[in-house]
Amino acid sequence: MTWHGNIPWGKKVSLDLSWLASQFPQLTDIEILGEGGQKLAYSCIHKSYGKCALKIIKPGEERMLDRELEAVRRVGGYGYVPKIYEVGILNSQLGKSIWILEEYIDGKVLSEILKNTLLGKEAELRLASDLLHSATEAEKRKIVHRDIKPDNIKIDHNGKAWLLDYGIARILDMESKTKSDAVVGPHSPGYSAPEQFRYKKRAIDGRSDLFAIGVTLYEAAIGINPFLVDAQSRLEVLHRVENMRLPPLTLKWDPDRLFAGFVSTLIQKHPTQRPRTCSDAQAWLNEIIDKLGG
Amino acid sequence: MELFLQLGYGMMDLSYELIKSWGGGTVILSPRDLKPNQIPKLSAKLLEVNGRVLIDPQFYLPRADHSRLISHDYWPKEYDTQGFSNADRDEMLSKLSRLNGENGALALIVPGERAIEINDLWFNSQDELLQAARRNTGLPLISTICLSSEVMRSSEQINLIVEHAENQQTAGYYLVLQHPGNEHFVDDPQWLANSLDLTAGLRKIGSQVIIGCANQQQLSMACATTTAIASGNWGNVRSFFPGKFQQTYKDVVKRKAVWYYCPQVFSEYKLPFLDIGVRLGVGDLLFSSPTEYSRPIIEAPQPSASGWSFPSSFRHYLEALREQVNSSIKPSFKETIAYHRELIDNAEAVLQELRSKGVKGQNREFTNVIDASRAALLVLEDIHGPILQRRWTELIGI
Repeated sequence: MTWHGNIPWGKKVSLDLSWLASQFPQLTDIEILGEGGQKLAYSCIHKSYGKCALKIIKPGEERMLDRELEAVRRVGGYGYVPKIYEVGILNSQLGKSIWILEEYIDGKVLSEILKNTLLGKEAELRLASDLLHSATEAEKRKIVHRDIKPDNIKIDHNGKAWLLDYGIARILDMESKTKSDAVVGPHSPGYSAPEQFRYKKRAIDGRSDLFAIGVTLYEAAIGINPFLVDAQSRLEVLHRVENMRLPPLTLKWDPDRLFAGFVSTLIQKHPTQRPRTCSDAQAWLNEIIDKLGG
Repeated sequence: MELFLQLGYGMMDLSYELIKSWGGGTVILSPRDLKPNQIPKLSAKLLEVNGRVLIDPQFYLPRADHSRLISHDYWPKEYDTQGFSNADRDEMLSKLSRLNGENGALALIVPGERAIEINDLWFNSQDELLQAARRNTGLPLISTICLSSEVMRSSEQINLIVEHAENQQTAGYYLVLQHPGNEHFVDDPQWLANSLDLTAGLRKIGSQVIIGCANQQQLSMACATTTAIASGNWGNVRSFFPGKFQQTYKDVVKRKAVWYYCPQVFSEYKLPFLDIGVRLGVGDLLFSSPTEYSRPIIEAPQPSASGWSFPSSFRHYLEALREQVNSSIKPSFKETIAYHRELIDNAEAVLQELRSKGVKGQNREFTNVIDASRAALLVLEDIHGPILQRRWTELIGI
């Protein structure tokens, strides 16, 4: 779950599918994908775009939506980010809601995959490469995703990792939407970097995404997120993120610990201790892939 | 990594002789230890023998009252925390610019106040001095970062400095770091780890890093790709001692002890302990790395009766330290850190042997800081190891 500071955890709500079909005559085969705290998501078929995802933002949850749309507009087509086709407004039983029709990524969410298996060398390196590609493209466009985690990554049938949900993205050249006196910034406990949840605005940049990518890669390699395992509270998780040192990964396919050292560097507590930029991290990863023959 | 000479009291001739015999090198001049008319004389002599000069403005404590220091033209005649305005800063930096220019300085060391806490006020003071320097000189700028021992214990504050430095664009940083309790050696692993972390952080953003007031314990700063460490004759230029900038501090030479530096154990010994060592058969351990300046003491049947005193003691120390500095960097980070660990392991073994024979270096013996030094290297390796390994050749080349 993503913590938005002053937005409470969402209640489960849903819409009647036949009613929804009547509102979107251009769509067929509408099926529920998920009904989360902020939005309802459906799969559907559009006569021109093919299979799509329809997202309906719950009223009151659209505060960050313009930032999400702007972020996706900037990154879409460069990073591995689903394209947005259409945006509109719908009057539903929930109230006045914004809807988004976007490219459907056929695949599995990484968190689901990790319930049954660990990633091997090829998949792990591919995941790292794809995430860094998206983060680098975002960085070029002054965007910090701020919510990279297995729940927001979809692996398609070709093994490509797509980065979803720019709902709490920060656009560095636009004024922040979060209150400037906020003590805690939007974050996902266990994945977000210390400077992000501590809301040190000046310190948040692409390196915050590198931290989250590092934790995600760590989890994908060993099957658990040590910051989250058996934690009793959100505060305990945050305490661990700030104070717990994760031992370097030990992977059979990485005998010289090149990849392990790389991941350890991504998850350093201070941004100054991580690679300076996402693009630097990507170049470093490419060197490792060359050496490991990935 | 290079060894720079940190000018201390009575070190004019010594610095000239060493630079001449080395065929070059850099001396950081100390206005506290030089009269205004001595700076151009010494600079000219050093430049003649292929030396390079930097001038440390020593503005660590703006209210310092050491008469020689405040007699220099650049020192503000009145310092008022409320009233040290842009005009005052411009005046100071303009005079410093002229002083540096007239003496052929390599770069301008920008004054910096000692930080007791890293916060916006300190950053603001640093930025204003740097901006004044930019307005008043065309020389490359080296910004002073002078930190209290309290700041040095905080990883959080150290990283704030690096974060701030990312946007400063200076040629380099001159780090003057106060030891806990003003001790000669630092036995606090956190302090040592943070000094490595700070240096590595600044080096990774492409800045030169000079560690001022250093001693042999800072040899391991090579692992963080430090550009240079600076050391000198007396203890108060081998570790930062703020008290010496006050008028009440006296440079009394007569009662000061003569120390002999034994490089392989990073320790110094008073001569009577060398006598004991020679009598009990461990002289070869004490004198394993001779320099031309230590010969008299080695060749004498009883070291304390050799007449060996200050000038030779300082020359030997700086010569031996320079040799250690020159071999402190290896082709990769892994090899460098392994080399420094080996040096520490060897020192530990030899120190045990020396101590078993009653040869003790008191507060200049390395024994008590071995574990802290090892721990600091582990932290450096854990935090920066992979990046330093990757960028080693690039970083040691700049």
